[in-house]
Amino acid sequence: MNKIMYLEFERCIGCRACLAACRECGDHEGTERNYVDYVDFMESRQTFPMMCMHCKDPACARVCPANAIQITEEGVVLSASEEKCIGCRNCTFGCPFGIPKFDFDQNKMYKCDMCYDRSKHDIAPMCASVCPSDAIRFIDYDEMQTLRRRRTQLNLVEGRKPSEQDKWQYVPEFFGVYTD
Amino acid sequence: MQQLERSFYSKASMYSFFVVTILIFTMWIGTGQFAHVDMMLFGYLIGSIVFALGITGRMVSWSLRPATQQILKRSFQNLRTRSHKQRNIRAVLKTAFDNIILQKFIFKRGVYRGMAHWLLAWGCIGSFAITFGLTFGWMHFSLIDPETYQIVVMGVPTIKMAADGLFAELVYNGLNITAMMVLIGVTMALIRRTTSPDAKVTQRVEFDLLPLYVLLAVTGTGLVLTLSYKFLGGFMHPQLSLLHQVTVVLFLVYFPFGKLFHLPIRPLAAGVPMNYRETVDTRPCRSCGEIYSTDEQIIDVKGILAAQQFDLQLADGSYLSDYCPACRRKMRVMKQMNLEQPPKDPYAPVETMSGIQPPGFGRRRTSGEKEDYHE
Amino acid sequence: MSDYVVKEGTKNLQRAGEKLITTHCSYCGMQCGMHIRVSEKTGKIKGVEPRYDWPVTLGKLCPKGVTAYQQIDHPDRIKRPLIKKNGAFVESSWEEALHVIKDNVTRLQQESGPDAMSVFGGVSMTNEKCYLVGKYARAVLGTRFIDYNGRFCMSSAAGGFLKTFGMDRGSTLPWTELEHSDCFLMAGSNTAECHPTSIQMFWKARDRGASMIVIDPRETPTARIADVHLDLLPGTDSALANGLLHLIIKEGYVDEAYVEERCANFEELKAQTALFTPAYTSKITGVSEEKIIRAAHLYGRAQKSVVMFARGAEQQSKGVDNVTLYSALALLRGQIGKFASGVATFTGQGNGQGGREHGQKSDLLPGYRKITDPEAVKHISGVWGIEPEAMPKPGVSAFEMFDEIQNGAIRGMHVICSNPAVSAPNVEYVWDSLKKLDFLVVNDFFLSETAEFADVVLPAVSWAEDEGTTTNLEGRVIRIRKAVEPLHESKPDWQILKEIAQVLGKGYLFPYEKAEDIFNEFRLATKGGKADYYGITYERIDRENGVFWPCPSLDHPGTPTVFKGRFETPDGKAVLPSVPWQEPGEVPSEEFPLRLTTGRVVYHYLSGNQTRRIDFLRDQCPYPYVEMHPALASRYGIQDKEMAEITTPRSSMTVEVKLTKATREDILFIPYHWGKELSVNKLTNACLDPTSRMPEFKVCAAKIRRITKKEGVSHE
Repeated sequence: MNKIMYLEFERCIGCRACLAACRECGDHEGTERNYVDYVDFMESRQTFPMMCMHCKDPACARVCPANAIQITEEGVVLSASEEKCIGCRNCTFGCPFGIPKFDFDQNKMYKCDMCYDRSKHDIAPMCASVCPSDAIRFIDYDEMQTLRRRRTQLNLVEGRKPSEQDKWQYVPEFFGVYTD
Repeated sequence: MQQLERSFYSKASMYSFFVVTILIFTMWIGTGQFAHVDMMLFGYLIGSIVFALGITGRMVSWSLRPATQQILKRSFQNLRTRSHKQRNIRAVLKTAFDNIILQKFIFKRGVYRGMAHWLLAWGCIGSFAITFGLTFGWMHFSLIDPETYQIVVMGVPTIKMAADGLFAELVYNGLNITAMMVLIGVTMALIRRTTSPDAKVTQRVEFDLLPLYVLLAVTGTGLVLTLSYKFLGGFMHPQLSLLHQVTVVLFLVYFPFGKLFHLPIRPLAAGVPMNYRETVDTRPCRSCGEIYSTDEQIIDVKGILAAQQFDLQLADGSYLSDYCPACRRKMRVMKQMNLEQPPKDPYAPVETMSGIQPPGFGRRRTSGEKEDYHE
Repeated sequence: MSDYVVKEGTKNLQRAGEKLITTHCSYCGMQCGMHIRVSEKTGKIKGVEPRYDWPVTLGKLCPKGVTAYQQIDHPDRIKRPLIKKNGAFVESSWEEALHVIKDNVTRLQQESGPDAMSVFGGVSMTNEKCYLVGKYARAVLGTRFIDYNGRFCMSSAAGGFLKTFGMDRGSTLPWTELEHSDCFLMAGSNTAECHPTSIQMFWKARDRGASMIVIDPRETPTARIADVHLDLLPGTDSALANGLLHLIIKEGYVDEAYVEERCANFEELKAQTALFTPAYTSKITGVSEEKIIRAAHLYGRAQKSVVMFARGAEQQSKGVDNVTLYSALALLRGQIGKFASGVATFTGQGNGQGGREHGQKSDLLPGYRKITDPEAVKHISGVWGIEPEAMPKPGVSAFEMFDEIQNGAIRGMHVICSNPAVSAPNVEYVWDSLKKLDFLVVNDFFLSETAEFADVVLPAVSWAEDEGTTTNLEGRVIRIRKAVEPLHESKPDWQILKEIAQVLGKGYLFPYEKAEDIFNEFRLATKGGKADYYGITYERIDRENGVFWPCPSLDHPGTPTVFKGRFETPDGKAVLPSVPWQEPGEVPSEEFPLRLTTGRVVYHYLSGNQTRRIDFLRDQCPYPYVEMHPALASRYGIQDKEMAEITTPRSSMTVEVKLTKATREDILFIPYHWGKELSVNKLTNACLDPTSRMPEFKVCAAKIRRITKKEGVSHE
């Protein structure tokens, strides 16, 4: 897999098709693993989609006492393996981005696995497939780099220069699984 | 203790040494100074010792992970705390009963899965108990009179029973009963694994299916063996016996290193409610005030992260784990969209990176575009 | 492992033991491409798979589309015909139901003439079915009272297009070109929520630097991104459009040559708009002068621009005027008939475009032929095999049918694919009318609010249980495929109509064995008409990714862009409007000081009969709410999430309050997808447009009152 999940929050129209689509994916057992929220409905209708970054060194796996969170060879961070998960919820508090979900009934954590059955064949995950606004995209590494570059240039045109402290704010969210 | 530890390469080696020593010692007692050692079971003995070494090594390295250590420390601390001792012990016992004995949480994933797992788990544990008991000579049967058997445990005579009584039948067939449980469980699990498309998504043949096949081989050969001496007059008994022994030894050697290793770490789950969920969540999110966790757990999580050099502290000194998951997501977005700082002019539109941000209703937009039509 | 199917170069996840049925969504006019996953062994519906190779939507789906398959094998489906006995529905056999229908229809028509029966159609069904509904009403029942729910949806756009261009095709350009446009002027369209999958085209154009002007009282997710958001008062579209036309003319943005050659009536328009200075426009519409000027310049300067509008501008008593005025913006700029520019309306219903061309309208015959035109009557009578004299005269529009019920002219009704008990304005009047009917038959696959009034309910099939074609909002004719055989004892609408025709002794008029037979007949029926489908076949649709009408012959490539050379008016010139300012049918008064407007949410489709039954969608938005500005709320002492009572001269309802600054300070907004006590259409005004007979859903006068905790009203 050499594809990137690329998020552009501004494009989101808040339709939550990604949530509905997430439920459709194999192995998701009819539960959604991603999020769409309003930034602040009182102020504006800006919504944002949110999903797992699939960190290379995931904090969720590091705080798991049972060592239950596995990473596939492609780099996809899977849900806690059911046989090991002891249901402590450490991962939901350790994750810097607030991603893992917890099912109290079944006593296990579940999270985005980038629709592993699709993405391992380079087919876009369900959320990225259906997202009508392209807020969530599943694109090539090179395309991601082009998009980032364009965004940075756009900001420069508008007279805002990134400094060492905040340069990462000048690129939209990108994450996913790629080989260096 | 530290001095003792220095005599070994590692903690794992130290514990392995003790485990083997204890095993040999108990065997020495159980078999009356090796008087009752059953040479037929020698292969099993070797397998069991390797099994014990493997488990010890894996358990030690597992418990040394910062996350595991933290929760173990928390668990023992809580069990020792005088003030809540009773409550804590009750919590542990209740969880152990629901979670391990009944395995309620798996039944919630589906009755079929629950049944399969319960049969598998208790079949395996039962078989282990009987196998180890016999191979290490911890227990054996002795004939007191032609009508009566006695079970000798650790050289101490215990229950007497009629040789052809119902209880005796149950005891003799203990391994057959547990084997049947495993066989049914394994078959159910294999059917699910091969037919459910959901299960197939992330399963790995080696990891998820191999243990099932190994278990199938062990129970299969074991039951055929029983069949052979009970009903077929010992047909091919020596060969079958060897075959069974080979599968069991393989199984024992494989156990600590594959998926089945989750068995010895499961008991940790018994500590979770006591540590973190004994009462309801009490800790409010630093930003929105929503109750999302307990102080103890957040302290633990912060500790574990710090131990592994995860720097998740924010500029204001708070940590990301001080916020509820929803707020953490929002923070990431607001950072990205430059919505965090309070605006200089509260009535002005939000100044953002891309110029296509929420302008605020009914206000002019501040994109970089020039308004040149007035010229 | 899995094989990949579908078109070459497209990867789809093909699970073992499943096949993918290539079809389109059941809901709105976007008709997004999708595959339905079906188990090869059991034939059961397994789920949905995106259709990446569909050129219009590229696999994108909205939440309704993703969950659309869940309505097929839904526990709420009507399994067998229902007959009302002593006030309760009893499951019965098809024979018995048909017998009851035959008896009642014959009785009513003998007592009060053929017009005692009426047909209320809908356009969320295939072209084949829409065509047959018209034929059923006129040739089998012989009634002049036939109309359809497009009167609550598309008829203003249709009326405006006919008036201006002489032909009604919802979009003058294919939507795949939209991403190449430079400017969008969108009026009364919450695109992001109502046609979510089209947003990709606008966003792509935005990436290229296209500008966007959004005309909407609320700052919708679409308006949020706009360069200029013209936050007008509901019901003032015609003033705003006149104001923009004024500026386009004044600032010299008019394409003189184009207007000279291809448009009529320019001088009248010029004279009329002269009055609408920015100051005057601003006074009427409540939009700041500065924003109007900015919008006019942005629009006037764009090389390729598209003017788009939807129900916000159309569902008014001046809907047709609004459409002609907005279309005039495109005409003055010389945009129609060119690449990536033109005029388009966002068709609401799945087959809103196709359904209105095939003779479900009270005054139209298939192929957009006028029923008052003797030539057209002759042609259609020939295709149908009836005497031209037997062709009924024009009837009345959808809402006026309820007046006819009250007058006693209509005594029986057959509702097909519609739910007027929710979607009509002033529904309490509609409920009363439905109760007054002597005999009501409803075809549906869920028991809708309308069906609850029925004497006989016939179980129809969902969209995935029948073959057929629809025409999407571009005018592209596409294929809908059968994924499963009809469930339980349900039957496709065309088969139901055929069986009714048979029991009424007119079976010879409906000699169809499959949907394609009907398609081939109506190809003939439309031949030579304005909406000419003659050259379109099922096989061509598959091969060519759909075919755009008009397509008069088998070797005709179809017409993606219309009006390239001439318009369809008698002299080939587009007619520019001249419309003076006129208030909406109801304006705020002392008693009712606020304006109430209604609309949609992304999770629900029309009357909600389908989407309210789907778990995911219902969970996202279970109840209607009133959306208002906190400044307005504080005047009435209302807090967020409290309950409030909204009252209009017709009725009142209680809903939860949702506060947001992203709306005008002087309006209330309530989504309309719920029935009975939760229906905002109890409050809406049935003031009809003089041409299109479209009710004014979007504007009425209202007042609001806080409900105290003591009164204890809540939805739960």
